[in-house]
Amino acid sequence: MKTILAISAAALLSAAAAHAQKINAAGATFPAPIYQKWFGEYHGANPGVEINYQAVGSGAGIKQLTDGTVDFGASDMPMTAEQIKAMKVPPLHFPTVMGAVVLTYNVAGITQELKFSPDVIADIYLAKITKWSDPRLAKDNPGVKFPKDDIIVVRRTDGSGTTFVFTDYLSKVSPEWKMKVGANTSVSWPGQTLGGAQNPGVAGLIKQTPGSIGYVELIYAVQNKMPYAQVKNSSGNFVKASLESVTEAAAGAAKNMPADFRVSITDAPGKNAYPISTFTWLLIPSSIPDAGKAKAVKGFLQWMLTAGQKDCSGLTYAPLPSEIVAKEEKQIAQVK
Amino acid sequence: MRLRWRKTVNKVMLAATGVCTLISISALFVILAYLLINGTKSLDWNFFTQLPKATGEAGGGMANAILGTLEIVGLASVMGIPIGFMAGVYLAEFEDKAFGAVVRYTADLLNGVPSIIVGILAWTLVVVGMRHFSAFAGSVALAVMLIPIVTRQTEQFLREVPMSLREGALALGASKWKMIATVVVPAGSKGVVTGMILGVARIAGETAPLLFTALNNQFWGGLNQPTASLPVMIYNRAISPYEDWHRQAWAAGLVLIAMVLIANIAARLVLARGISVPRG
Repeated sequence: MKTILAISAAALLSAAAAHAQKINAAGATFPAPIYQKWFGEYHGANPGVEINYQAVGSGAGIKQLTDGTVDFGASDMPMTAEQIKAMKVPPLHFPTVMGAVVLTYNVAGITQELKFSPDVIADIYLAKITKWSDPRLAKDNPGVKFPKDDIIVVRRTDGSGTTFVFTDYLSKVSPEWKMKVGANTSVSWPGQTLGGAQNPGVAGLIKQTPGSIGYVELIYAVQNKMPYAQVKNSSGNFVKASLESVTEAAAGAAKNMPADFRVSITDAPGKNAYPISTFTWLLIPSSIPDAGKAKAVKGFLQWMLTAGQKDCSGLTYAPLPSEIVAKEEKQIAQVK
Repeated sequence: MRLRWRKTVNKVMLAATGVCTLISISALFVILAYLLINGTKSLDWNFFTQLPKATGEAGGGMANAILGTLEIVGLASVMGIPIGFMAGVYLAEFEDKAFGAVVRYTADLLNGVPSIIVGILAWTLVVVGMRHFSAFAGSVALAVMLIPIVTRQTEQFLREVPMSLREGALALGASKWKMIATVVVPAGSKGVVTGMILGVARIAGETAPLLFTALNNQFWGGLNQPTASLPVMIYNRAISPYEDWHRQAWAAGLVLIAMVLIANIAARLVLARGISVPRG
């Protein structure tokens, strides 16, 4: 009886695993729309490979990769030296696309595109500006009639690469923010805030909460037809997040990319550079003992860097500059 | 005077119980009606045959989540029901007083443990142990929840079997295990099976224990792989900002409740065909 049970259990398990090379990944929600499209498309072209991507947030993705419960991770924050040290197998960073964190809002009676200066954004999140009728908002937005409502600040509850990009930006433009709060995947927010889980959760909250403002990846604002703000960049121009403005922000990094690809492009120079831009990374273990899995992961990386890049603009992500693609193709060989 | 007071109290209380009964019944019908109205809009053939689409893309289905729920709940039942049943038989028939009280109390405590905690347990034991998320880990979590429910239900219904039946069996020379297997359990079977079904229905809707055990999957998954399930799918879809996904969450809710109702009704029909005390 026991042997029959054992055999049938083993048969069930192997039958489930036999057909396709199954790979599990988890991490950032910021690039999730394009990742899920990629993994779906790649499976269509290569039915032998199933890559299951769960958008659990960058923090959770790094944690699961460290615990070894997923085959690879994804994050919008490059791993810190300490995080890398905690891993048994050192990870390789593969930039996949570039994207923008946008400020989106739900303000009664306002349909125009609002404009924000860096200090205003910082002070809203530092709880120094608490009303939509604040004169500093009016100064950047002549002709806009703001209501007297309180500003409801929305942020992420989970460990989030989007939060890192946003707070990394605030740390660069506001010394007070840098001192009091700093940049991380989760921070202790100064004022009263409303928390949402992951990019979709934050977008959902803002949609339902009049008077709110929050930060999400561009695609989540676009897909939901939510307005998003122009942000003043380091050259003093108000710039809207777009394929071009994000690409311009990455121009400097494209020329001087560090060997491990860990680079921040917030508050980048450039006349029309969008200041809250970022790369997002796949975190691939440098050694994958299962030969089948290693082959499948490398195959996907090669496809992602070439054919996959064509999907970017449809989902409002910016494709990688060709210099970086060439560098990454070399790095694929380092996955053993 | 007193009589009138009593009559008034009687009327008031009768009305109050009536209203409360109505509220508790209507809750079910409101839920069903709401699910039907919102769920049917997005329910089409694709919902049952297609895999989910990427974030923000319209269309697609939840075939993998429907199969995943059947898989996870099925395996949980295979693991949890026999253990719970045997423990219930022990409590009802063999109980050693002090130990029985401990078992009973533990089962009740386990029944009250928040389901998310059970999820953490399965995560620690199975996910971290096996180094990956899997349907199996989800099943372990659900089985842990199922065991105390089945134990207590089995015990209760077996205790309701009249002592005279037991005495009769023993008087005719049956050994104790034969008495239990051929007289007590068949006599109590209706209640016992109903208890099992209610337990399974209860765990079928659990989300929290699956969030970080079975995780989710946009493909088919498998016992040894992260696997989609309807409750987790509903959770993910419902907190998203996409209209289309909200409709799909309603549809998934409708499918889930239909699966539970069908299981419930089918089991009742089977039982109604009458296993009762064997006569003759």
